[in-house]
Amino acid sequence: MPDLFSFLGDHFDAFASGFWVTVRLVVFSFGVAMVVGTLVAALRVAPVEWLQRLGAVYVETFRNVPLLVLLFISFAGLRRAGVDINAWVAGIGSLGLYTGAYVAEVLRSGVFSVGKGQIEASLSLGLSYRKTLRHIVLPQAFRTVVSPLGSLTIAMIKNSAIIGVSLLALPDLLKEARIVSSQTFKTDESFFWAAVGYLLLTGAATLMIRVLERRYAIRR
Amino acid sequence: MTYLFDPGNWEWLFTGNNARYILEGFLINLEIALIAMVFALIVGLLLALARLARNPVLSFVAGTWVDVFRNLPLIFLILYLALALPISWRDAWEENVPSWAPEAFESGFVFAALIGLVLYNSAVLAEIMRAGILSLPRGQREAALALGLSYRQSMRHVILPQGLRRMVPATVSQLITLNKDTTLVSIIAITEVMRRGRIVTSSNFFATVEAPVLHVFVFIGVLFVIVNYTLSRLSRRLEVGQREKTGARMEEVKGLEDQLLVAEAR
Repeated sequence: MPDLFSFLGDHFDAFASGFWVTVRLVVFSFGVAMVVGTLVAALRVAPVEWLQRLGAVYVETFRNVPLLVLLFISFAGLRRAGVDINAWVAGIGSLGLYTGAYVAEVLRSGVFSVGKGQIEASLSLGLSYRKTLRHIVLPQAFRTVVSPLGSLTIAMIKNSAIIGVSLLALPDLLKEARIVSSQTFKTDESFFWAAVGYLLLTGAATLMIRVLERRYAIRR
Repeated sequence: MTYLFDPGNWEWLFTGNNARYILEGFLINLEIALIAMVFALIVGLLLALARLARNPVLSFVAGTWVDVFRNLPLIFLILYLALALPISWRDAWEENVPSWAPEAFESGFVFAALIGLVLYNSAVLAEIMRAGILSLPRGQREAALALGLSYRQSMRHVILPQGLRRMVPATVSQLITLNKDTTLVSIIAITEVMRRGRIVTSSNFFATVEAPVLHVFVFIGVLFVIVNYTLSRLSRRLEVGQREKTGARMEEVKGLEDQLLVAEAR
């Protein structure tokens, strides 16, 4: 045990910077995923049929393609094609677009979970369409969406590790652990601390979701 | 866009063995996914039963095990196992691989990859199964016990048949995720579809026509979309069929990424 801690002490900077890179990847990708997911969900509930189709094609494509393939296309593929894309942009873009497809599905099912009767009741009470959306539909939709969005966030933390091992080689937590392990030949120790880092992140996310759930979520 | 659809850039697909080479690689991915799925289902069921067991120690150990492996990145597990499994295990695998297995399976790293995939997916499936079992009304178990069935008998004849049927759609969506995750084994130098894609793009391979990276991986991506989309349609049909059979609206149990949360289980 003391060995483990002195090992962490010796290489703390590497692990900390890797941890920080992972956090940044997750936070920015989450932003991209939410924006993309909202737009695609809006397409899927739009009253125009070809817009719905377009949304469906987006979801089915990005949900069924491996993240690693997206990373190859967005980085190596575009670079070879002459687009000078930055590793961060490629990584965050890929993870964001990939998760966005899932977010879109979650948001869509959230909107549909609000009963039709509620909307009719609110309209017949004389609330305008906008007020109905704002005061009746969205607050309830948000509540059903809290838990699934939480599990997507956890999935995203885990998926972010793929960015570091792909061609992009952003120095995230897993990448740093590999560098430390190849320098010191201490595989077990370096991977142990990387595992602790990831479990801290997923654990913190789980706790946060639980708090949000307790405050907002409703069981259906 | 013109770059992507320029037929000249797609010529590689019809040159030499390129298309066949990649398709064979894709088959290896599917095989890895299937093998891992079979073992993950078995281990997952054991883990779920252990977590639901009445023995608090067993239940706690299984619970911690599941939570740890479910919350670590899969690629982390695969990489670690590839580096840390004793070389003698790898050798044992290489010597004992049946001769009919595809060439890619001869690498000792496949063993590490399979263990990683099974560790991760069995933990996820255990959670899905547990949710399926817990979603049954309590009366089912009480009735079974009241009829004089033992714990074991009630599990085997009453609880599991119903609980496991509920998790079929979730298992199919986990299979889709697993399918995508098999690309990760390319990181530890197994020549499945991703590696083969890279080999095709490296310019001096079948040197006559250049294969642009973008196009090769778009092609590979399309392969995955076709297979996984078919699977997801299948899963949806199963779900609907089941609802018709049981007559009732079931509580849904979804796969990890699709998860409209296994929260009922908490």
